[in-house]
Amino acid sequence: MGDSDVGTAPASEAERIQSRLTYNIEKDRVVTEDLPRRFLEVFSAILKHSNYRQVLDNYARVTARCANCAASCQIYQATEAPEDVPCYRSHLLLDVYRRHFTTKGILSGHLLGHEPLTVDKILEMAESFYRCTACRRCNLECPLGLDHGLVTHLGRYVLSELGLVPRALVVSTRAQLEGETRNTSAIPLPAILDSLEFLAEEIKEDKGIDVEFPIDKEDRQFIFYAPVSDYLMEADTLMGIALMLKVSGQQDNWTIGSQYNDGINYGLFYSDWILERCLVQIKEEAERLRSKEILIGECGHASRSAKAFMATYGGGPDAPRMVNILELTYRLWKEGRFKLAPDVIPDRVTYHDPCNVARSGWIVEQPREIIRSFCKDFVEMEPHGENNLCCGGGGGTVSVDEIRPYRTGVTGKSKAEQLVATGAKYVIAPCANCKKQLREVIEDHKIEMEVVGLHDLLYKAMVID
Amino acid sequence: MLEQLTDLARGPLLKLALIVMAAGLLRVVILQIWELGWAYGRAGDQVVSWPVIVRRTLAWLLPWRYWGPEARRLYNLTSFIFHVGIIAVPLFLAGHVALWDQELGIRWFVLPPVVADVLTVVTVVALIGMLVGRGVNTGSRMLSKRQDWLMPILCMLPFLTGFLVAHPRFSPVDAQVVYLVHLLSAELLLILVPFTKLVHIVLFWSNGASSEFGWRFAPGAGEQVRATLGKEGQGV
Repeated sequence: MGDSDVGTAPASEAERIQSRLTYNIEKDRVVTEDLPRRFLEVFSAILKHSNYRQVLDNYARVTARCANCAASCQIYQATEAPEDVPCYRSHLLLDVYRRHFTTKGILSGHLLGHEPLTVDKILEMAESFYRCTACRRCNLECPLGLDHGLVTHLGRYVLSELGLVPRALVVSTRAQLEGETRNTSAIPLPAILDSLEFLAEEIKEDKGIDVEFPIDKEDRQFIFYAPVSDYLMEADTLMGIALMLKVSGQQDNWTIGSQYNDGINYGLFYSDWILERCLVQIKEEAERLRSKEILIGECGHASRSAKAFMATYGGGPDAPRMVNILELTYRLWKEGRFKLAPDVIPDRVTYHDPCNVARSGWIVEQPREIIRSFCKDFVEMEPHGENNLCCGGGGGTVSVDEIRPYRTGVTGKSKAEQLVATGAKYVIAPCANCKKQLREVIEDHKIEMEVVGLHDLLYKAMVID
Repeated sequence: MLEQLTDLARGPLLKLALIVMAAGLLRVVILQIWELGWAYGRAGDQVVSWPVIVRRTLAWLLPWRYWGPEARRLYNLTSFIFHVGIIAVPLFLAGHVALWDQELGIRWFVLPPVVADVLTVVTVVALIGMLVGRGVNTGSRMLSKRQDWLMPILCMLPFLTGFLVAHPRFSPVDAQVVYLVHLLSAELLLILVPFTKLVHIVLFWSNGASSEFGWRFAPGAGEQVRATLGKEGQGV
């Protein structure tokens, strides 16, 4: 622990910082002394070693401050507070960049005596960057193509090195990377194995076939990483996936690693350092078992972090390939490896696009095609697909329990309206993050609806010969 | 005196303004390419899907792509029309093309005078619309800095005076004065391009790539940042 980092300031200063934030931080780790100077040091170190400079230079030069982004931001639409305009949020950081890291800014700062960076400004950022769910919908609306999600990511990264980061995220990450259990939910391996055994028995009872969750099998095509919370909360999804793989002849093609099996990567939300460490763990476990492809379960951010960054941190073109379970299921279904009983679900069903797989157009049509084939009454939410609304718990905010009223009342408000408008009985959300958030939205808005994963329904619809 | 000033503005000043703009833009373009190259060199993932970037960039040009129920339709349309005007009129107006020919020795397509007139008026109206749009929208009003209000007004000046130069009978003041104001305001605008948000004339085209490269991280950077901050070997 660095001595300037921790415990040097009176507890009251940490308390004061905490009192300004709606989420809980680790008060014993937050930087309390000389915060503005430390902020600039961290920012400077990140600019030196990482790749953000060019994009900040570009954004700082072109930004037109038109606030078009606000039209697409569900947070702004809910609060109509000027501070919730995505561009305003980005400017909190861009202004610091301009003032302290560009020649023009440094010069004019000296000549005109611009106000220095203050603790208040930093705390405004700390609060603001966690009001954003990093859904990146505003990126579609910005006429100059600014990616406010990227600025939010960077802003959170700088803040995290100062201890200004939700405690919930750090504690989980610590358990995952440095704890005994090696996963974010701190579930001991024996407990995971027990629950898998139990799930296999359930499947046997339900469907009458032997399905195995293969642990530590070597030389398999796929090594499976669920968001580890699925082992506690999404048993139906896991059973659906295992049954689908079994029925489509993949039983001997996949495995789960015992040493590291958590797909969750909070680094995507708040730190490049964490992002890299999690992906290296995933890669090493795949290499240990000589698996060829990384298979990520129903989880948007885990999929995007592996898809977008495995090559970055896993050796460029030599990095292991990754596939999301929805892609694999779609491929196997198209190949006719398994069949779904048509119209087995008579009730109305809608589909929620997880931002991290849909915003780029990566996984939009595949699940819909499957759903239409076995659900009698499928309805879309408007808007959907690439232009979808966030569940309201993106960017890691869903893990922060203390901001639930904000998540369901503000960020999840328009999602609640969308859900109600469909009149559906089931909402399919193939993402652990969205599932948790949508359940809370449904509960807090008293909506009659059930949140399921795609594989939960496939489990019911799969034809077993 | 007025005549000499006008000659100065038509000749050397115009050339100076164009040179400042061109040199300033060139500097920005070179810097941007250099920085992009630098980022690319350090990126752990160097596979770039250019067609996707190009498609996305072109889509931002359109005013209607993401018009959802909540979008600012009128503002977007106004802005689009303004951009058509501010590109077409300065480049293709008959009087300008003659000037380019005389001063720089280049000739190209000429807008019919009626089209140029209509486009000029439409552009001025669009600029007023953009100012109003900026003013009535809480978000943009709060975000706006001084240049966001002054730039549209400065953009309007060459159009207003240009219209009066073409139609002196509407002009309340001496045509020669109007002409001088037209030249000087246009030249000021040209000079300001590289130093204000108008620099998006060139940087717009690299914005898609810039955002894409922004997400291309450098492997090992996280660890190096920790080391620089004296946190090597420390846990999460």
